[in-house]
Amino acid sequence: MSTPKYPKSNQMSVGSIQCDNTTLNLLKANDFVAKAIREKLSDVLVINVCSSPGSGKTTLMQETGKRLSDKLNLAVLVGDPETDRDAVRMKEVGINALQIVTGGMCHIEAQMILQALDHIDLTGVDLLFIENVGNLVCPAAFDLGEDIRVTVLAATEGDDKPKKYPRMFLTSELMVVSKADLLPYVPFSVEAVTQDAREVNPAIDVMAISSLKGDGMDEWCDWLMAKVAEKKASLETA
Amino acid sequence: MHEISIVRNVFDTLQETYPDKFDQITKVQMEAGLLSNIQPILIQNAFEALILEEPGLADIELEVVQLPIIAHCDACGQDFEVVRHRFVCACGTPSKKIVQGEELQISKVEFFGN
Ligand SMILES: Nc1nc2c(ncn2[C@@H]2O[C@H](COP(=O)(O)OP(=O)(O)OP(=O)(O)O)[C@@H](O)[C@H]2O)c(=O)[nH]1
Ligand SMILES: [Mg+2]
Ligand SMILES: [Zn+2]
Repeated sequence: MSTPKYPKSNQMSVGSIQCDNTTLNLLKANDFVAKAIREKLSDVLVINVCSSPGSGKTTLMQETGKRLSDKLNLAVLVGDPETDRDAVRMKEVGINALQIVTGGMCHIEAQMILQALDHIDLTGVDLLFIENVGNLVCPAAFDLGEDIRVTVLAATEGDDKPKKYPRMFLTSELMVVSKADLLPYVPFSVEAVTQDAREVNPAIDVMAISSLKGDGMDEWCDWLMAKVAEKKASLETA
Repeated sequence: MHEISIVRNVFDTLQETYPDKFDQITKVQMEAGLLSNIQPILIQNAFEALILEEPGLADIELEVVQLPIIAHCDACGQDFEVVRHRFVCACGTPSKKIVQGEELQISKVEFFGN
């Protein structure tokens, strides 16, 4: 980077100031790449799964893979600041998965997805999950070329979260209340969290799921199958 | 948080856009919509940190303007300000049609002229 030649003090006192009222979008590069991903994956349903750390995203993917393996061709790209632990966990249950190590970064950017696509075989894949980095703030601003964003909120995190992280819930089509088996033991009301989320996003769907015990898994899998079918139908009419 | 990469992005973008005039920049104004989750003070801190790496940037003034969230109501055809993230118009109709608030952009650049 070159450096300004004139000290600031001089600039302020002598000479004229030229002003350029320009608009340079700082997320332009990301949005451009997201568009390329959308074009490249036009026949795959892409779901960006966001949450805070440890809400149960990987466990949900694992259970989804087990249940839908004979109905759908599923793949997962999973982002973490470090380690390939989550991809290993998915592969253990037979899911086609690839780890994206963000190198400490707090969110996945579209460029990382585009690069990852060169390293995973998506032939015949109907549904691609992107498990985002655990963080309810930063990932909300980065379009990854997904069709649908889903936010997972664990019953242990408290039912007052949607309003605290509005952009995430605003941009999500579905809020999954995870670890629903723990609802009897924690002060968390599904009704209250639904109301809080709908004040930010009146259209958001809500589903309570326990990956551990299986509650809500049928509804979730049906929802996924319906979304995949919707995507395929939209391709036929297009 | 990624404020430091945002600030880097600001100066990379400026260098790309103004290759011949970059070293005459005196002031940069950024606009950050309230939905961009950007805190002006953290941007300033990140800028100070970047100056340690790039001392030449110390001569540039960086201003961050926050933009309120504005949504459009289809029912009454009006734009309304979204306060405390309640996306509901004064007429009672919910709306997510965001007109303003997601911006993260450079809005003004000042150069030292001769
Ligand atoms: N009780 C209960 N625990 C669960 C459930 N799902 C996941 N867990 C536990 O929650 C912890 C975190 O689960 P993960 O699936 O690793 O969560 P994650 O969101 O992928 O975590 P990060 O990728 O690190 O953000 C593990 O100890 C899981 O066993 C559930 O439905 N009920
Ligand atoms: Mg995980
Ligand atoms: Zn109205």
